[in-house]
Amino acid sequence: MQPFSYEKVTNEHEAIERARLGNATFVAGGTTLVDLMKLNVEVPAALVDINALPLNQIEDQSDGSIRIGALVRNGDLAQDSRIQSRYRVLSQAILAGASAQLRNMATTGGNLMQRTRCYYFRDPVYPCNKRQPGAGCAAMDGYNRIHAVLGVSDKCIATHPSDMAVALVALDASVHIRGANGERAVPITEFHLLPGDTPHRETVVRPGELITYVTLPSGPFGAHSAYVKLRDRASYEFALASAAVALQVEGTTVRSARVALGGVATKPWRALQAEQVLTGSTANTAAFRNAADAALTGAVSRRYNAYKIELAKRAIVRALTDALMD
Amino acid sequence: MEAPQIGRSVHRKEGRAKVTGQALYVDDVAPAGLLHGVTVRSPTARGIIKGIHFHPTVDWDEFTIVTAADIPGVNRVKLILDDQPYLASDVVNHPEEPVLLIAHRDRARAEDARRRVTIDIEPLPAVFTIDDALARREIIWGEDNTFKRYRVNKGDVDAALAAAEIVVEGEYETGAQEQLYIEPNGMLAIADRAHGVTVWGSMQCPYYIHTALAALFGIPAQRIRVVQMETGGGFGGKEEYPSIIAGHTALLAWKSGRPVKMIYGRVEDMASTTKRHPSRTRHRTAVDRDGRLRAMDIDFIIDGGAYCTLSPVVLSRGTIHAAGPYSCPNVRVTGRAVATSAPPHGAFRGFGAPQSIFALERHMDRVAAAAGLSPEEFRRRNFISSGETLAVGQTIREPVNMPALLDRALALSHYREKRERFARENARGGKSRKGIGLASFMHGAGFTGSGEVHLRSLITVEVSREGAVRVLAASTEIGQGTNTIFSQIAADALGIDCDDIEVARPDTLDVPNSGPTVASRTCMVVGKLVETAARGIRHTLVDSGYLSVLYDREHFRAACERYVDAFGALRATSQYQPPSGVTWDDEQYVGDAYGTYAWAVYVAEVTVDLTTWETRVDDFVAVQEVGKVINPTLATGQIEGGVAQGIGWALYEDVVWREGRMANAQMTNYIMPTSMDLPSIRVYFEEVPYPNGPAGAKGIGELPMDGAAPAIFNAVADATGAHPTHLPLTPERLMSAMETIGA
Repeated sequence: MQPFSYEKVTNEHEAIERARLGNATFVAGGTTLVDLMKLNVEVPAALVDINALPLNQIEDQSDGSIRIGALVRNGDLAQDSRIQSRYRVLSQAILAGASAQLRNMATTGGNLMQRTRCYYFRDPVYPCNKRQPGAGCAAMDGYNRIHAVLGVSDKCIATHPSDMAVALVALDASVHIRGANGERAVPITEFHLLPGDTPHRETVVRPGELITYVTLPSGPFGAHSAYVKLRDRASYEFALASAAVALQVEGTTVRSARVALGGVATKPWRALQAEQVLTGSTANTAAFRNAADAALTGAVSRRYNAYKIELAKRAIVRALTDALMD
Repeated sequence: MEAPQIGRSVHRKEGRAKVTGQALYVDDVAPAGLLHGVTVRSPTARGIIKGIHFHPTVDWDEFTIVTAADIPGVNRVKLILDDQPYLASDVVNHPEEPVLLIAHRDRARAEDARRRVTIDIEPLPAVFTIDDALARREIIWGEDNTFKRYRVNKGDVDAALAAAEIVVEGEYETGAQEQLYIEPNGMLAIADRAHGVTVWGSMQCPYYIHTALAALFGIPAQRIRVVQMETGGGFGGKEEYPSIIAGHTALLAWKSGRPVKMIYGRVEDMASTTKRHPSRTRHRTAVDRDGRLRAMDIDFIIDGGAYCTLSPVVLSRGTIHAAGPYSCPNVRVTGRAVATSAPPHGAFRGFGAPQSIFALERHMDRVAAAAGLSPEEFRRRNFISSGETLAVGQTIREPVNMPALLDRALALSHYREKRERFARENARGGKSRKGIGLASFMHGAGFTGSGEVHLRSLITVEVSREGAVRVLAASTEIGQGTNTIFSQIAADALGIDCDDIEVARPDTLDVPNSGPTVASRTCMVVGKLVETAARGIRHTLVDSGYLSVLYDREHFRAACERYVDAFGALRATSQYQPPSGVTWDDEQYVGDAYGTYAWAVYVAEVTVDLTTWETRVDDFVAVQEVGKVINPTLATGQIEGGVAQGIGWALYEDVVWREGRMANAQMTNYIMPTSMDLPSIRVYFEEVPYPNGPAGAKGIGELPMDGAAPAIFNAVADATGAHPTHLPLTPERLMSAMETIGA
């Protein structure tokens, strides 16, 4: 770990002003950042502690949406009765991640900003385009069993590790970002960037900007949603493939659907083709399998991760089946 | 007289110091002037070292640098064949082989400098699989890539196979496994010509290091001192490799004249140090229409990696256990340890036996099916009993009752009822299948063959004038309970309380060589010596007239005071003597392979998810006969831990190799099970006292590693109808096993 300065800020303005000075990193729960600092992957000169900011509430809005402060802890969000009843898939996704202790520290904003678990990214011995642009990618021909099959580029195949963000994609969430010039709202599907030629750029958040809230619209998906996460062991493990789905069903017909994938893509992945296949179809296993096939169209595997394509399809089918049975 | 301490779960002797953070591990110690050492390793599997380049941006004068040329004595790790160098000089034979050592007072600078050394290597062809080693396309070791061969022969296997009504063949493979002790390896050394060499560190076998350092430095053994620090787990992983780290650390200290510490990070520890030997076993088994074994032809091969190290003795244990607890008139076991261009594989709980037992017990289910019998009935008809003879010619003299262990395990697991019910429920379809399977096995305690005779283990018990008792032995506490059981054994032998016994820290300056802490020998072999020496003290006190036959703590203290005042120091030493009638012929490889065996039947219940091919162990019953149980909590912990490690080996822990290098040397990608993945492990003991163990105890540490994997595989076969043969059974492997049966 390299030496760094530490300071605490108490309001958003102060936080943004401090961050604009450069080479400063916000720290909230610290559950990813501190690990990466110990590994010398993140080497900020200054840590700006934002835990004192008043962004830790979950609030109902007049239009029926719900607003989640960026500092709401993952554990609190998952256990909130409104989230559990109206956005069940979000609660399920959060509880499928990490451990109770980590969820009690990790925040909503921090979860969106968490970085990949690619082993080559996390070990500075190996070249990594994400860590050091232009250095090359050790995962391409390395042990890439956990790596992405969707949204990949020839520069990076690292997966986005979040469970929470996958559920947010299925729920049409928006991320509110505040900078010196005011606040903007970004749809969650546009918040994370594809690696392309610039895998070091992971989100639309610019230096000096702060995530303030995540909002969830009131949607038609309260009754039928589910998160299925497949991983190498029952706890303390990231997804090999996960699916967050939400269905609006009338009789046996799917009126509308949301399908999002985790563990298989370079960003929290919305499977629009799968949603199109489902919309208007009869809700049954055949339709679910067709949707799953559509979701993985265009998947690109490497030496060790071809199994993920079938695994992700099975996760989708199981999640849709679970959602329907609720 | 105190109430007996043996058989009670007295508290772990060093438990309070561990949970309060007072226990000192090697990385807790930092003497003034300390340097931090790092190792520069081979990037290549095999090749000729052409040169070493030091990056010009580093001021190398600030660093202590050690190469093979700096070694004062012999550049070979003293073990069996002494073929492994401490530092490669001309050639490298495996990835991560140490080539150069660097030390600096700033740990980060040392770490950074390591990356600024380039080793130029002209590659040579390498060998990465057992098949390639056997094919000898490239000879990488000796004349034929073979470290060791054994051949066990009983009866006439060929004739029996030729005459057999039913012959069943099978091939089984097991992968490497990382020990994953919580505390990575580490050593601290102070060394110079004037004072000799002292090392402190994490280890299982202080005298292995002691012997190794004397040869490395070419100085008399009495100028070497080895001290064990608190050690956070070993599982065999700290049996032989710490000799290398101790040597490296001491070489840096010797050259720099400063204390030097080397602490391995997790990645370095996983990538560079030893793992369980991968194996391949082929079985050809003849059985008659009554389900009686007629012949077993077993070909057992282990992958030893690039140097011989402990492979011959790992192979020996695996070979002897390969035919299991069965009576068969004709048995042939061919054992071979071959060389590949990987870091040497080494000691790991079970030491070859889990590999050969996995193959055997999976195969026995298939033989049972071919004979038209259930797995349990087939085994019952073939279990060995007292008076019968194992393949190596050892006649079982102790009482052994495998059918009783089997009955108890079947009853506790509701095996028959579940097997029927699962078959019914599986036939109805659904998203998952359930199954139940068993394994029956034995595990020899102590060194194989004449090993204990050669070791001639020694321990001392000494008593102060105040009546304080100290047990002096080189046997290490590595979390398994040595301190506690030695206290219990000595306490009962002396008729006093455990709290009045101190077990000395293993320090070669103080403690005699009681042998290595390996091979399930610490309780049974060394514990027996503790019992004998402590009894000797008691007899001395009684014979001297200072102690009556019945006494309490105060009488004991008074007697010690009077004895010491009259005669001086009160000490007793005990040395290993083989039990009468136990013989072994090293040349012919026949005789009493072990003084005794522990016996067991394990039952696993699993659910296989047909969507994801995940296997979950739902219930586990472990029934074993291990002689007298000294400390029920510690013994149960040993079994639970061994079963958990066996579940990891069976289902989760997959070492991925790329040209001899472990590709997943991180805890994020080498998957070990968490408590969430483990079932309740239900542990039951049958206690049949063994006359040559302390209070009747046998060895216990390795036994539970043997039974989990085959029981689980047999349960998966029961659930799915597949015939999985390759361990670990990851979802990918089960999927392909299912595809081969067209499911």
